[in-house]
Amino acid sequence: MKILVIGLDCASPDLLFGDESLVNIRRLMSMGAYGRLESVVPPITIPAWMCMSTSQDPGSLGIYGFRNRGDHSYDKLQIVNAKSIRQMAMWDYLATEGKKSVLISVPPSFPPRKVNGICVGCFLTPDSNTDVYTHPASVAAEIRELVGDFPVDVKGFRTDQKDWLLEQVFDMSRKHFTVIRHYLKNAEWDYFHFVNIGLDRVHHGFWSYCDPNHVDYVPGNKYENVIRDYYKHLDEEIGTVLELIDDETIVLVVSDHGAQPLDGGFCVNEWLVREGLLVLNEYPKEVTPFGKLNVDWTKTKVWSEGGYYARVFLNIEGREPTGAIPKDDVLRFRDELKAKLEATVDEHGKLLGTLVFKPEEIYHDVKNVAPDLIVHFGALSWRSIGGVGYDTIHVHENDTGPDDCNHAQFGAFILAAANSPLSGEVEGARLLDIAPTLFELGGYEIPETFQGRSLVSGKVAETGHQDLAPDREEIIRQRLAGLGYIS
Amino acid sequence: MSSARRVIVVGLDGLEPSIAEPMMDAGALPHLAALRAKGGFGRVATTTPAQTPVAWSTFATGVNPGAHGIFDFIRRDPKTYLPDLALNRYEQKSSFLPPKAVNLRRGIPLWDVLSKAGIPSTVLRCPCTYPPDNFKGRMLSGMGVPDLRGGLGTNTFYSTQEGVKAEESESVVAIKSDGRTIRTHLIGPRNPKTGGDQLLDITIDVDAAARKVTVRSEGQPKALDVRVGEWSDWLRVKFKLGMLQSVSGMVRFHLVRLEPFVELYASPINFDPEAPMFPISHPWDYAQELQRKLGTYYTTGMVEDHGGLNNERFDEVAFLDQCDGVLREREAMLTYELDRMTEGFLFCLFDTPDRLQHMMWRFREDGHPANHGVMHASYRNAIEEHYRKCDDVIGRAMKRADDETLFIVMSDHGFSSFQRGVHLNSWLEANGFLTLKNGATPGEAGDFFKNVDWSRTKAYALGLGSMYLNLAGREAEGIVAPSDAANVTRAIAEGLGGLPDPERGTVAVRRVVARDEIYSGAYAHESPDMVALFNAGYRVSWDTALGGIPHGLIEDNTKKWGGDHIIDPLLVPGVLFMNRPFRTQGARLLDLAPTILSALGPGKISAMEGESLL
Repeated sequence: MKILVIGLDCASPDLLFGDESLVNIRRLMSMGAYGRLESVVPPITIPAWMCMSTSQDPGSLGIYGFRNRGDHSYDKLQIVNAKSIRQMAMWDYLATEGKKSVLISVPPSFPPRKVNGICVGCFLTPDSNTDVYTHPASVAAEIRELVGDFPVDVKGFRTDQKDWLLEQVFDMSRKHFTVIRHYLKNAEWDYFHFVNIGLDRVHHGFWSYCDPNHVDYVPGNKYENVIRDYYKHLDEEIGTVLELIDDETIVLVVSDHGAQPLDGGFCVNEWLVREGLLVLNEYPKEVTPFGKLNVDWTKTKVWSEGGYYARVFLNIEGREPTGAIPKDDVLRFRDELKAKLEATVDEHGKLLGTLVFKPEEIYHDVKNVAPDLIVHFGALSWRSIGGVGYDTIHVHENDTGPDDCNHAQFGAFILAAANSPLSGEVEGARLLDIAPTLFELGGYEIPETFQGRSLVSGKVAETGHQDLAPDREEIIRQRLAGLGYIS
Repeated sequence: MSSARRVIVVGLDGLEPSIAEPMMDAGALPHLAALRAKGGFGRVATTTPAQTPVAWSTFATGVNPGAHGIFDFIRRDPKTYLPDLALNRYEQKSSFLPPKAVNLRRGIPLWDVLSKAGIPSTVLRCPCTYPPDNFKGRMLSGMGVPDLRGGLGTNTFYSTQEGVKAEESESVVAIKSDGRTIRTHLIGPRNPKTGGDQLLDITIDVDAAARKVTVRSEGQPKALDVRVGEWSDWLRVKFKLGMLQSVSGMVRFHLVRLEPFVELYASPINFDPEAPMFPISHPWDYAQELQRKLGTYYTTGMVEDHGGLNNERFDEVAFLDQCDGVLREREAMLTYELDRMTEGFLFCLFDTPDRLQHMMWRFREDGHPANHGVMHASYRNAIEEHYRKCDDVIGRAMKRADDETLFIVMSDHGFSSFQRGVHLNSWLEANGFLTLKNGATPGEAGDFFKNVDWSRTKAYALGLGSMYLNLAGREAEGIVAPSDAANVTRAIAEGLGGLPDPERGTVAVRRVVARDEIYSGAYAHESPDMVALFNAGYRVSWDTALGGIPHGLIEDNTKKWGGDHIIDPLLVPGVLFMNRPFRTQGARLLDLAPTILSALGPGKISAMEGESLL
């Protein structure tokens, strides 16, 4: 069986499953199985897509977000790219059997992966006009022939220029699907995986306009249906994709994480300053990114990187250059900090419901330099603001531009295949379960490196569709019913 | 060179010249008579067979059935010998895709030719336009559009009387009344996964004093009044297809009586023009537009509820009332389009004359077996009365025809009586062309050729006069060698042609024509090998159509469906009127497309077999 993975970055189960007008999605749901899909911690595009594709958690990949500490110094942050991931993904295992793959915009895929097949770079591609962003490199010319300029992302999607943003996202999406259809038709493939990043951008750009539960929602505003329309657009494009495959294909529609309204920003370093854990030589006169702060590293015990979630780091004696936490006090200190973070409140004193994770407790392995704590403020209904100078802990603007959606722990999946034993709603599925499930359905051996479990374990149907034998005569009578001329 | 800016064709399905002509002469059809006087009138040769989908497809394409592929309402699969509807089929490329409707009328319709020349067309309810064609203009699909259950129409009859059995093409739902409230359901589409019926709960509140019931449901409106003897407004409903999908439909009711039993008739569930299960218009939202401008309308391909009358669920009054409603509904569409038409081609078909003649013909003939010796004088002129209503429609439409308009009124075939049915398979059996399995005798099996021994069968009949050889290499268990096909065909034609009806002392089957004599073109190989052409008063029997082999050879037709036209085409030409002089002698349906194309400029394409009548 061939495998087609339709990746919808950030697709929310409620929006994907709740709209009957998404006819192609509904048909896939009714012919197969679907459900919420628990993402990894953190539920972020990078590393989530690679966690799915390798069936390994972020700790095992040693990738904890877009930016990771390169060592235990205070300022060496490395941006993840495709080369950061060394573990075997599904396509790598398939290549060892001579199977071909097509990857389009699967993050991170810049520089382009040298797969046995085709790889088109993701949104990390700096400039698709000048950089080599495809493998083989000649694919870029084919794409140019097909669609002209190939936008890998809407650069600057956190903007107030909403009309512009909308135009850009749809334009990008149409071009991507044109390319996807082209290679579905013309490339040789056993595994085809694409990721639509447009949905993530639309969620971040328009959530407050579309979600009546969002604090900034204004009924009847001109962008009220944008998110719905974009799902509808995706559904139509998916319909055209499905025209290009046959019954010998496993189809997976999947998101790397979900989406939820963003209530506000929690200024984590500001909070650390107030707690006396982060010591500045000078409090900034204006809002200043963490990297530009004048930090007293000899007195600082804790600092954090912001973003959708917080990566909290401890300044430990013997580990960091001027560590301030005695080595033998680290565990006690961290537990105390965890408890404090879990007790954080909003500006009205109400508990945020913050989730705090210790890497070694949630990952099979903790590679590279992991955060000491990973924090989801308000279970991600609050962003983490890394800058200082707000003079407050709770803000309602984002430090990197307008954004009113955060990621949610649960994404969504729909799995349809002729030999799949699953039907209806499936509970308890996790992102790492995807690769073993696809491999078992596809008839491939499940590698030992896969950490998830197959959702179809031992239940794959031997033969194709289990059609009920219809009463053919009854069907004929029904079709001719009402003709009149017959009896 | 175009001679007209506009061509308007109003189709009156099945209008019979031998009825219309004397009515015109007597002044009973003043508008048609005026048209005759202004331009001309002639009888127009129909197709073989004289069936609506075949005939209108030839009208549309200007070619014989061999080149458009519609030969009968019913076709058969030579691999299974099973019948199927011949107008369209559904295909599904993979299970990831929805089924698609495919029109089996092929060839190039005249609106395609006009479209290429940049001339717009509007085509309302032409048979065999489902799914709709894609061209410059608008189309509302006609005969071929199914109801929500996928057939041409399955109605539901609700009764508090015990033991009512379902007749043809209907469901019967037994209901219980406590005198006030009845809980029951509508029967929706079949669930393709489970094969079961999708049901929708309804509650029927009986108000005997007000002579009405109120149907309550989750549909729109939530409460719908239905008065005794009347047709209700439409109820729009949604059926769940499994947990995830739903399908929209519309149904209307006729309350037959409240005592001694509560009897309620529900129409087949029509596609909702707002959200049809499959496309029924071009562009896709044209069906919506018509609904928003004109109100809800029937969408199924065969709109008139002949089944309800044939099964005696309601009476002639209710049927005629419904036909009148359909006529008005169609006229509203025609008027809407006439009002905005500036150029090009407009076609609108009125089906009611055909359906009404099928059901009311028996009242013209005292000896018709369907009357069971009882005549209702009040219905003797029902057909003439309907012709008069059609004439009024023509009168109003004609006013829009100016000097730049070619205005055409026509029927696809005429009409005749159906008193006696011929069991073609039984004849084949009696004459050694069809053999039953050892020991079986005709009449023992039902439909679908049960008990036929294919290894000893040379020919079989299926559909409405179509006959097929059991041809080696084509049929699953074919035994007639291709080299022997002509001999077998000739033997059947000679034996069955001229078949007498000893009881009546007349000829039942006038002749049998072979494929080669009547069909040519790309799809001729799909056609029946032979077509039996009946005399007036005769038709293929009810049982033959689906492969039945009853006792005897010829039977009385006792059904209310007592008129028909599927006889020798020479006996049932249609009518043809134009507001301009035309060649009235020898006009054929084949000539219409060339005529229209010639009037509008581009002229006929070479594939078209007829000639312009202008």
